[in-house]
Amino acid sequence: MQVLAKTARASALRSCMRSFASAALEKPVLNKEFKIYRWNPDEPAKKPTLQSYTIDLNQTGPMVLDALIKIKNEVDPTLTFRRSCREGICGSCAMNIDGQNTLACLCRIDRNPAKNSKIYPLPHMYIVKDLVPDLTLFYKQYKSIKPYLQNDNLPEQGEYLQTQEDRKKLDGLYECILCACCSTSCPSYWWNQDEYLGPATLMQAYRWIADSRDSYGAQRKEQLQNEMSMYRCHTIFNCARTCPKGLNPAEAIAKIKLELAAD
Amino acid sequence: MASSTLLRSTLPRTFASATGRNVLRSALQGTDELNLAYSSLISRSKARASSTAQYVPGGPIIKGTVNDPVEFPPPSRTHGSYHWAFERLLAASLVPMTAAAFVTSGSSYPVFDGLLGLSLVMHSHIGFDSMIVDYVHKRKFPILGPILSWTLRTATVGVLVGVYQFNTNDIGLTELIAKVWTA
Repeated sequence: MQVLAKTARASALRSCMRSFASAALEKPVLNKEFKIYRWNPDEPAKKPTLQSYTIDLNQTGPMVLDALIKIKNEVDPTLTFRRSCREGICGSCAMNIDGQNTLACLCRIDRNPAKNSKIYPLPHMYIVKDLVPDLTLFYKQYKSIKPYLQNDNLPEQGEYLQTQEDRKKLDGLYECILCACCSTSCPSYWWNQDEYLGPATLMQAYRWIADSRDSYGAQRKEQLQNEMSMYRCHTIFNCARTCPKGLNPAEAIAKIKLELAAD
Repeated sequence: MASSTLLRSTLPRTFASATGRNVLRSALQGTDELNLAYSSLISRSKARASSTAQYVPGGPIIKGTVNDPVEFPPPSRTHGSYHWAFERLLAASLVPMTAAAFVTSGSSYPVFDGLLGLSLVMHSHIGFDSMIVDYVHKRKFPILGPILSWTLRTATVGVLVGVYQFNTNDIGLTELIAKVWTA
């Protein structure tokens, strides 16, 4: 009899504990408004609009990309954006969040529920749909600087060798993931992107000029000897400020200018 | 041109349907014709931009197929590194020159006064010219661009003549600024 009462009391206690624990674990609702740029190419006559979505931040991951994925999964499946790696190495989810070009996957959500968060595609680009910009010209520009090793003197055996000092010159250049955040933040690129290459492409141009294994440096520099391709850079430094990878394209462009002037 | 508008209008729908991929591929194979249309367009009208292809206001800024790299204008050091180096050296030399103008008096060193006037005018000419290239380049503004360029050149020459006259026949630039400063 006594044993039975004991087990009954214990089970009652346990269930009480369980309900208490679940009540404590349940987070309060923290609603935040996201205003997202929408434009649908199937309705070209309709102007782009900002659409408002409110989601509970306590049921969402910490980054803006998590919020976008939650909205697409649970609220509006027509919302369109690029994303892939969710860890800042693919460069797909580059967009303008609260006025700053950055990667949605590396950008924390501002947890202040009083302020809404505005999300636009990369500025001054042709839009394919919603948050997806057309990067065709950007890739064509990247291709134009021949982003690969050019050297006619093959080593007698094995690979091209490089000293550690020469390898160090490439640090801060090779990490670029070509997300286009810097180029699309540059006013000079906004006005003259059909002729000016933009910071991302110019930094990669310098990455190959600086490489000791490449023997086409003179040709690479000669290409930039004109009014538009590089000298439209007016050292505005938006590129260095916005880079989600913490790189400094402005410095690379300054180094090209110095090398061209010393040539 | 007609094929390009056709390609653009069919693009969204072909992306939407899975079966549309083959249509897209065949449409993209037609880009050679598109290139021909573009090049004939370019050869018919004189190429105004600094590169060979013509700028079409509001039109597609992509020249050639999506797989062609963008083209570079013909290299010219006068417009490239020489221009940049001259501009930077001029700007840097203006700092000590302005400082020196505070110490010396213009009427005792007329050549220095003239040099300062010339440098200031050239510095501002390069600055205004840079603005014209940035915002009203002749590839985008075939009429307004050249008008502004020539207005700037005329103004620069006029100011140079004025500064020369003022420095030779009157008190000179440095003295004038010193007088205005104390007035």
